[in-house]
Amino acid sequence: MKIVGVTACTIGIAHTYLAQQKLEDAAKAAGDDIKIETQGTIGVENALTQQEIDDADIAILAVDVKIQGEERFANHKVVKVSTETAIKSPNKLIAKMHEIAGK
Amino acid sequence: MEDSEAVKAALDRGTIVTDLNAKTKDEVFEALAGRLKEQGYIESVDSFLDALHDREKEGATGIGGHVAIPHGRSDTVRKNGIAIAVLHDEIAWESLDDTGAKVVVLFAVGATDEGSQEHLKLLSLLARRLAKADVVSDLLEASDVDDVIAALTK
Repeated sequence: MKIVGVTACTIGIAHTYLAQQKLEDAAKAAGDDIKIETQGTIGVENALTQQEIDDADIAILAVDVKIQGEERFANHKVVKVSTETAIKSPNKLIAKMHEIAGK
Repeated sequence: MEDSEAVKAALDRGTIVTDLNAKTKDEVFEALAGRLKEQGYIESVDSFLDALHDREKEGATGIGGHVAIPHGRSDTVRKNGIAIAVLHDEIAWESLDDTGAKVVVLFAVGATDEGSQEHLKLLSLLARRLAKADVVSDLLEASDVDDVIAALTK
């Protein structure tokens, strides 16, 4: 399935990117397409377009702070967790998202 | 990978230490802050230690798998830098799993973002590498500075 998401942590230099990598690896291992936007100290990278969000089966927000553009996900299935959860149990999280998306 | 060269350029042999005999988190902080001071990255060891402790209060910096990434943001940081310690023995460290820390990758970041965007980008690349199991297993086995650099730039 197609997954989009955003990662953002309090200081914005480490956990944001760890969570991104962990989610990408776990999703790929499960055979999913994934694109994760990072909102860190260096700003927004790998930005999601509304089209990409609309095309996705489900969205993951692994965030410890308020993010920019959360309204982009308003009409979608969204799983919201902390960056710690994404880093600690990425595989479980992806499995859970499959359940929620029904795919 | 093209990022390897950039990460390599960001690593400083003078702030990487292996086989460090430390018993506590504070001993690791002191050893690495000392290296950062020697190499001109920070002005005051004490102020930098305060910044590290402030971040520790916000939550675990152990990312699981025996790796910790403490980071301090402070105006005592003259230039952004990375200090790395591979410890002789694993020590207790608050982490996302039940492991302690055997490898500590410490980021020192200036309080203002000015002119540091490029370096912060490098830190993000490095953080992503630390999310990779094979990179971590190489780091845990690293016995000298070359091993550490090889693990992070492969």
